[in-house]
Amino acid sequence: MNADTSPLRPMAAGAKIIRYRGVIKRYGGFQALGGVDLDVHAGEVVCLIGPSGSGKSTLLRCTNGLEAIDGGDIEFEGAMLPRDERALRAVRTRMGMVFQSFELFPHLTALENVAEGPRTVLRNDLVEANRRATAMLAKVGLADKASSYPSALSGGQQQRVAIARALAMEPDVMLFDEPTSALDPETIGEVLSVMKKLADEGMTMVVVTHEMTFARRVGDWVAVFDTGRIVEQGPPTQIFDAPTTERTRDFLSHLGWTG
Amino acid sequence: MSFDWSVVWQHRDALIAGTATTILLTVATMAIAVPCGIIVAILRLYGWAPMRALATAYVEFFRNLPLILVVFWAFYVPPILTGLGLSPLATGLAALALNVTAYNAETFRAGINSIRRGQVEAAMVLGMNRVQALRRVVVPQAVRRILPVLASTWVSLFKDTSLVSVIAVTELAYVSMQIRAQSFRVLEMLTAMAAIYWLLGYPQAKLVDWIQRRFAITE
Repeated sequence: MNADTSPLRPMAAGAKIIRYRGVIKRYGGFQALGGVDLDVHAGEVVCLIGPSGSGKSTLLRCTNGLEAIDGGDIEFEGAMLPRDERALRAVRTRMGMVFQSFELFPHLTALENVAEGPRTVLRNDLVEANRRATAMLAKVGLADKASSYPSALSGGQQQRVAIARALAMEPDVMLFDEPTSALDPETIGEVLSVMKKLADEGMTMVVVTHEMTFARRVGDWVAVFDTGRIVEQGPPTQIFDAPTTERTRDFLSHLGWTG
Repeated sequence: MSFDWSVVWQHRDALIAGTATTILLTVATMAIAVPCGIIVAILRLYGWAPMRALATAYVEFFRNLPLILVVFWAFYVPPILTGLGLSPLATGLAALALNVTAYNAETFRAGINSIRRGQVEAAMVLGMNRVQALRRVVVPQAVRRILPVLASTWVSLFKDTSLVSVIAVTELAYVSMQIRAQSFRVLEMLTAMAAIYWLLGYPQAKLVDWIQRRFAITE
């Protein structure tokens, strides 16, 4: 079945931003990815779900070259992902990434964290970088925390600053690696609503998540991972309401998913 | 039992000169051992394999030898091997610098290594190269962890300079012992020496405490 022609994938008409074909990744003798095929179209929110260690995060880390793949290929905006570090850096400026553990720079204020990319990588002058950073902090609802250090922020606030930091580079796609897994339950909502807002604005997003409600409501396309492969992919209605594989049903029932 | 504290005052010029030499040794040793320690740490962290091995061997060698042995060795062995000898002061300085460089190299290396890999990745996904990630993200954080350790090393070094008295460097300990030998005022001179070391060392230790509080990182 060609997913691109499915009426259930309306944005498939748009340009392919990321195209994974037969992606293989090994760590020593362990095969983390065993041939992954997936497309991400402009404006889509693609959610990667599945048990821990099934390869979702690995695929994300291969997308921006934090990990090198051992087979297959990854295309970004029509070109093969480069291996050369310099070319890879140029690609990374167009992909934002948000980590499970936030990884804000603890020696910088929220504003400085967000301005760091524009300053150091895009070579903006201080005024322009701060202007951008201020706008991005406002976008995630943290304009009043500009001069706070990360240690003075809650987990949810830190993650929103991390999202603003990625957005300040004006990326074409955002990669989220379990953005709410390290958060207290009460701050998960504020991060998810920022992500939802981004999705509504048309940002292309690849989201590794255990938040099934988010995948269901915000995702345009959901890929279910198990042992390094995608066992099923489709629109959220299919995955959550009428899964076609035993593996997907097992995974969802294990989570207590009731639709 | 009678004490004669005037001996301390009588020899004040010698004691002041000795104190000045102690301070000079401390400052000069650190002035050498900080840049050299950075170089050794960089070689250990990022050098090609043979340089890395050499730097590691250097650190492990000098870190595990008693300083006094290094002092004696630097004083006696080079003249035997080469026929050339440096002044006691230069020899003492060299021995101290060799030792403290090894310690500082470890301090710098541990400081750099203590920054989580995720921080470097966060810099890299913004599009930074390795040098930018090091300069903008790793080093500013590592410095906060390195400074307090460096300050502690400084305080230890200030006291350890007394070891070079064994090769007749006229620093505070040597001068005090000389006066003691001439005047037979053992208790007075040892007490005076202790007082000078303590009065100079205590504020330094307090400064270290302050630095440790000032640069503590909360995450």
